[in-house]
Order: sequence, then C-alpha cells, then structure tokens
Amino acid sequence: MLDVGRHPNIELLAYSEVEKVEGEAGDFKVTIRRKARYVEDDKCTGCGACAEKCPTVVSDAFNEGLGERRAIYSYFAQGIPSTHTIDADHCRQLNGKKCGICAKTCQAEAINFDQEDRVLELDVAGIIIAAGYDVFDPSLIPEYRYREIANVVTAIEFERLLSASGPTGGHMDRPSDRAVEAEIAGLEKKAEKSQKALSKLEEKFNEPSDQFYKKYQAGEYKDDEDRKKWADKYAAHLAVTEPLEVLKKKAEAFTVAKRLAFIQCVGSRDFRFYPFCSGYCCMHSIKEAIISHEHEPETTSSIFGMDIRAVGKGFEEYKIRGGNNSNITYVRGRVAEITEGPDNNPVVIYEDTRERKVKRQEFDMVVLATACAPTKGIAELAKTLGVELDKYNFIKTSSLSPVDSTTPGIFVCGCAESPMDVPESVAQASSAAERAAEIAFQTDLEKEKAVA
Amino acid sequence: MSKDILVIGGGIAGMQSSLDLADMGIKVHLVEKLPSIGGKMAQLDKTFPTNDCAI
Repeated sequence: MLDVGRHPNIELLAYSEVEKVEGEAGDFKVTIRRKARYVEDDKCTGCGACAEKCPTVVSDAFNEGLGERRAIYSYFAQGIPSTHTIDADHCRQLNGKKCGICAKTCQAEAINFDQEDRVLELDVAGIIIAAGYDVFDPSLIPEYRYREIANVVTAIEFERLLSASGPTGGHMDRPSDRAVEAEIAGLEKKAEKSQKALSKLEEKFNEPSDQFYKKYQAGEYKDDEDRKKWADKYAAHLAVTEPLEVLKKKAEAFTVAKRLAFIQCVGSRDFRFYPFCSGYCCMHSIKEAIISHEHEPETTSSIFGMDIRAVGKGFEEYKIRGGNNSNITYVRGRVAEITEGPDNNPVVIYEDTRERKVKRQEFDMVVLATACAPTKGIAELAKTLGVELDKYNFIKTSSLSPVDSTTPGIFVCGCAESPMDVPESVAQASSAAERAAEIAFQTDLEKEKAVA
Repeated sequence: MSKDILVIGGGIAGMQSSLDLADMGIKVHLVEKLPSIGGKMAQLDKTFPTNDCAI
C-alpha cells in the first residue's frame, strides 16, 4: 500500500470516480471527478489534530459500524493518502451550523470549506477494472436474524473485532455487551452532570441530598420552592443512578466470546440468492477461528457447512491444523435457524447430517460467512465503460481470456470479475497488468512506425 | 497518443496491477472512490493460510 503511494509512476486519485469514457483501445479519453474533501491535499500532514477536536461523531464504515469516527476523518489509521476528509453529510459547518473548529485547530491551514469537486480529463491507452465486491447483506435471510440478534455478526465485522487496531483492540467483546457498556458510559456522563448540580445545592443548604430527600418525602419543606426544585433534581438523579448500578452489576459478569459458531454459505450456494460458491469463505472462517483461539486459548469454534472447500496451496493442511490445534469442530449440516437464548446467547438450530438428527446448540457469538456479491456501482460503471456484465453482475469474461472484458483495451481483475481470494486476486492483477502493458507498448510501436 | 493506463479500484487487485505496470515504466492513474486505498483487504486482520498481516 505504501509502495503505491510512493511510486513515481503512479498518480493516486483517491476519493474520485470515473464519469465518462470515450474512444477505443490505445486511445481512451477518460473524465474523472475528484470529489471535494474540503481539505487541501498538498497542505494536510495527516496529523489528526482536527479529528480529535471535531464535535460530530459518526458511525465508522471502515470498522463496519462497530466503532465511531468524527465528521473530519482519515478513512483508517494507516490509510494512504493520509489526507483527512470532511464528511459533507455530517459536518456542522457544511450544513449551515456554526462550527469551523477543525479550521481553527489545523496548523497547516489545510481546511477549505469552499473547495469544489474537480473534473479532470486523462488520455489513456488501456483500462483495468478492479472495482472489487460487496459483502452480501445477510439481513435478506430472515431465519438468521442478523441485526435482530446482536451477537450474530458477519465475517468482516468479526474481522474488525479481531483486529488489534479495531474498535475493541482485538478483544472478542460481544456486540450486546458493548451496547451495555456504551449505555453505562452514557448514564455515567449524565449522573456526573446531575451530581455536580446537586453538590452546589448541598453546599447551599449544608445538607446531603439523600438526608434532605427523606425529610422532603416525609412532608417537610412543603412550601419551599427552592427545596422543591432540589427534590426534583435529586429524583431525576436517582432515575439515572439506579439503572446505572443495575447495568454495572450486569457488566461485571461480561467475558469475551469463547464459544463461536461459523455458518458457511450465507447467500452463496443458495438458490434464493447466489447459486455460486464464493470460494474464500471456508478458509476465511477457519482463519478467524484459528486467530480467535490464538487470542484466547479457551475458545472453541464450530464451523457449520455442507462441506469445507479448502482448495488451494496449503489450504487443506491449514484446515486440519485448525481442527487439531485450535479447538475447531467441523459440523456437516446446514443451519436452519438462529434464535436468541438467555444472556443474549444465539442458539443455532441445525441438522447434523452425520447423525441424521436435528440439534440445537448455544454459542456466545455467531459469525456468518457471507457471500461475495457484485459491488453496487458496477452496473453504472459497466455502462460508462461500455463493457458487458454476466448474469450475476460480475464483469463478463471468457474462460480462455479470463482478464479481458468484452471491450478491447479494457481488462478486469479481482472480485469484480468473480469471487476469489487474495492470492488469486494478486495473480489475476499481474495478468491484467501484463495485458494492459501490451496495449501501452503497442501504441509506442505504432508511434515509431508512423515516424518511420 | 498516451501510453498511460487507468486502474479503477484501489484494493489488492488494483494496487497489484498498478505496481506491476509502474515497475514496467508505464504511468498509471489509480482511481479509488473511498478516501484511502486498501480496499477490503485493509479491513482484514490476517490472511490465510500463512496468517500474515494484511497491511
């Protein structure tokens, strides 16, 4: 990633989109819109002082909504370019409210609220589409109750929980427990505020609030307006602190998730959604189970699937090693339903096809191995580029030219072409680069011919 | 005529093709719609089957 940012032959146009493409192989004219970041990229040093001071909290897409960022942000900590971006949908200043704190904080004077989108035109010989994929939305499968049961997460969400730079610092904290902790933090803030107000009154009347309140309830100070206000304030304070204590007691019992279930083929190999096999999800689940076990040696994982497809160099060995060393049980059977048991524990109902029995098992957390779905903007991009899509909306290719789109000079690699894992994406990327280079060097040759 | 190449998408595939082309001496314009490159792989903690760090 760093190499891409530093390479003298690469012009990085982040936060930009392709608007128009004209021409043919060897001679394309491309219009690109560089969206306004409201931060000057040649001035921003990426120090992050602005994001520390920004008062607007927004859900963090990089952490799959499990964490928070500010309205001015860097997409993720090691992101390249490190230039910060103002989220125009949430920024107070850009929505007509008084703010501008980031501009006051920024020592590099990089903030520019008047920045506008820039449109630039490029002449290129060839184009490579590497637009990637989207994670399948499992809320389309009602029986898995994703979003209804807090502790049912997708594989990519689980990945963020596992990450040391993620929202939990790599601890397997369950989403339901994190919600309670967030509630506690909110109530503590409220309680602190009301406590401050009460302390002032206690000083004024020289009496602790609880003693006064008992007397007040017994009928003293009936006609005293000031004391009535004090009593109301104390009652409001109790309405915060009492549930706070209950929640705190509940939170004492919280531990990290140790019993994990991984459900395979969520959206893929399912005729209601995508009949294809996404290919990488089996290995992805095994990897997540192995890493969870590394984080917490008591972790046990059950991987529910029709079969485990470990096709690739070193993959089968990895699967066996997981079973032997990382407490992974492979269960052959398709999960019919997930329900919620006590303590927000998801309960998996499945048929164990080896024993031909319907079983139920309780877990701390369930991870859905979601399908590799075509990315949302791909239809529009394909239209702009004039390339055909296949029946699922991946870029159409043929088996003997797997990186050539239907338009000469336009190539494709990675999950925009079909679902694939990292090593395969890298191999296909090099292949597409080579095909594009042929076109680029051809234009050189033609130039020489023309001169001759 | 230009011999530059446009790469759309700054994930692992887009980054790899850009680097390969750039190393061949071809000028690459890499377009990414999000504020930073990295794509889905930057969100991954480790990659199988070697458990290497994704970033």
